[in-house]
Amino acid sequence: MTKNSPQRPQAFRLDAEDVEIAPPSDAPVPVRSGPPVEAQLAPPGPPPKTGFWVKLFWTGLGGIVSLAFGMAVSRLVDDLFARAEWLGWIGVAAVALFLLAGLVLAGREMLALRRLRRLDDLRLRADKALVDKDDRAAAAIAADIVTAMAGNARTAKGRAAVALAFSDGVIDGLQRLRIVEREIIEPLDREATRLVAEAARRVSVVTAISPRAALDLAVVFGTAMQLIRRIAELYGGRPGTFGLFKLVRHVLAHMALTGGMAAGDTILDQLVGHGLAAKLSAKLGEGVLNGLLTARLGITAIAVTRPLPYIGAPRPDVRDLVGDAITLTRQNGDARPAA
Amino acid sequence: MVWTGWWNETRLAANSIAAYATDWVSPTLRLGVTGLSRSGKTVFITALVHGLLTAARWPVFEAQAQGRIARVRLEPQPDDGVPRFPYEDHLETLTARRQWPEGTKRISEIRLAIDFASNAGIMRGTEKTLTLDIVDYPGEWLLDLPLLAQSYAEWSRLAIEAARRPPRAPLAAQWLAATTATQPFDKASESNARRLAELFTAYLKSCRDERVSLSTLPPGRFLLPGEMEGSPALTFAPLDLDGREPAGDSLASLMEKRFESYKRLVVMPFYTNHFATLDRQIVLVDALAALNAGPAALADLEIALADVLTAFRPGANSILSAMLSRRIDRILFAATKADHLHQTSHDRLEGLLKRLTDRAIRRAEFAGARVDAVALASLRATRETTVTRLGRPLSCIVGTPMPGETTGGEIFDGQSEVAVFPGELPSDPAGLFAGPDAFRGEDYRFVRFLPPKADPTQPLPHIRLDRAVEFLIGDRLA
Repeated sequence: MTKNSPQRPQAFRLDAEDVEIAPPSDAPVPVRSGPPVEAQLAPPGPPPKTGFWVKLFWTGLGGIVSLAFGMAVSRLVDDLFARAEWLGWIGVAAVALFLLAGLVLAGREMLALRRLRRLDDLRLRADKALVDKDDRAAAAIAADIVTAMAGNARTAKGRAAVALAFSDGVIDGLQRLRIVEREIIEPLDREATRLVAEAARRVSVVTAISPRAALDLAVVFGTAMQLIRRIAELYGGRPGTFGLFKLVRHVLAHMALTGGMAAGDTILDQLVGHGLAAKLSAKLGEGVLNGLLTARLGITAIAVTRPLPYIGAPRPDVRDLVGDAITLTRQNGDARPAA
Repeated sequence: MVWTGWWNETRLAANSIAAYATDWVSPTLRLGVTGLSRSGKTVFITALVHGLLTAARWPVFEAQAQGRIARVRLEPQPDDGVPRFPYEDHLETLTARRQWPEGTKRISEIRLAIDFASNAGIMRGTEKTLTLDIVDYPGEWLLDLPLLAQSYAEWSRLAIEAARRPPRAPLAAQWLAATTATQPFDKASESNARRLAELFTAYLKSCRDERVSLSTLPPGRFLLPGEMEGSPALTFAPLDLDGREPAGDSLASLMEKRFESYKRLVVMPFYTNHFATLDRQIVLVDALAALNAGPAALADLEIALADVLTAFRPGANSILSAMLSRRIDRILFAATKADHLHQTSHDRLEGLLKRLTDRAIRRAEFAGARVDAVALASLRATRETTVTRLGRPLSCIVGTPMPGETTGGEIFDGQSEVAVFPGELPSDPAGLFAGPDAFRGEDYRFVRFLPPKADPTQPLPHIRLDRAVEFLIGDRLA
């Protein structure tokens, strides 16, 4: 298609001999999704700047530790052989098992990290396409999300609905993204919100009735970890151990950025400052607060694992999630002018 | 926005307050559908009403796709003085007789009530009813609105200047000659006025002829006179005044008086009773017909659209403004007949439309209104295929052309289906506006097709109609 020789308008009879005419259809042109997602990873931001000497330091230390470990193992096996040959073989077998399992575990962690990264990447690309109003990119992303969600059994119905909608007529990319969100992601959102509400409630109750502070802490921490993991699993992430670490770091960073504590502060003020909680029960106040914190954490976890930004779906709100206790404090807060 | 004097503005404000109050009790949305002749207004409204009534599966229309719309029904028309849009007749013409309906000659209105369950915040789950008034009026009438701000002398000057420019000059020759021969400051005679008005009308009509397809032609009621045909308010023409003011009982002052009556009797009632009450507006544009007719027609369409759009009062509604003067807060520009192109070219058509309406879009967005542009087909008359010749694939559309249409030297009989390659739109529409030689008229030939065979009880095929509906009314169904 050059400027000089545009194709001329022309017509063909459907029974024409010299040309080949495909059966006419209403169907939209299938969107060729780009190369697989992993291949076109957006450059993942500026890499953390590690100084040359720091790298050298860690390389050296790593080398020393590995050598020491290898040495220790080989000496142990030698010792075992020196004592008795069968003991030596058992040692060798144990080392082999250790190495094998280590490799498998590492591989699994890598896979899990990659899955998480893929969700991240989809969200970033969708964000960009929405900002740029780039229809083609959006259509490709919509197709990619459907593919990525193929491994997620919960989305079978949604995927069928999406396929039906897409086969029906001409739909542009940005609208496709919204349909994918509505049919596939929104049911997952509802499930995720339920998980968060449940966790928040559990934390509230346990904090309110637990006899020891250490116990609260353990429960809050454990529930938070479990919540993050389950939300990631729900959206198709299945994080491993390292994935979970990464995710937690991500969630915390996100909370810090979005002022995760800000909303909590006003309520904290109401509870503590006006002495409501202290008057009723310090424990109850703490419980509400911990619940809030968990809810906020959960919402942040949803935001960082959801494969799409919010397009038309409602954003979950802490206040929707945490039951009556919060409504009470909120009304209280609204009634008084902020000091 | 047109300032129409204190009395009118006060009346508009009063109407607006009343409408605002009614809106609390039963929310109403007035959707204006307009476009120049043959842009597809009638088919759009018919397809829209039909789609809502048959609960078509429109994936992009949220309320429908989420299953929140319980029922849609036709309601009796609110305005007793305005004809009802003859939806049933048009549907019958389209589906049973497979013909395109007659065009819009005058204003008409149809009212739908949509029962739906709300999805927003505190109101979630409550049953509500949105009353949707669809107002259909010819886009030519909009071209009259700028006249409200013009005097007869100004308008004469502009009209004569336009007639002397190249694409129109040959068509206007006869009328211009007559005008030059007339002494505007001689004593008025009815026969003279009538003769000039007839020549002027003939010139306007010949401009609208398909091959030329010029679109900026105020006063619009000269082309679609309706029941006012022959009345003095339609019997005037511009005169070459040479910068003097009309005075005494000269021909010029007779013409001026009639021009003012035209404004008072024709333009003003339309403005206050219909136009100023709209909440949403869709402007249909037949860009393909302009491409068919050549660069001059395309340039003319651009000017016409810019003129049409100066008439709107776009802008975001604040509470106060919503009470005192309604504003159009969403405008959709739609390039119709997108089914005449393969879908891979739709984004180029959209690009062309954006280029055509660029100024208007920026102005409306600046005022705070939301504006979108979309390539759509209210009723999809074609399907798509790929034709491979000598190993080269060509994206074509398949449909039954109207009898008498031609392309590539072939004349169609209106019976058999053919695959048509309509030409390639450029990826950068700027090239099409480069001047009179930007493209030859035969680079594009968009054949007109018969309406598809369709069952009127089933949803009709369309392209992006759901997207248009979502943009125009979707937020009010939240």
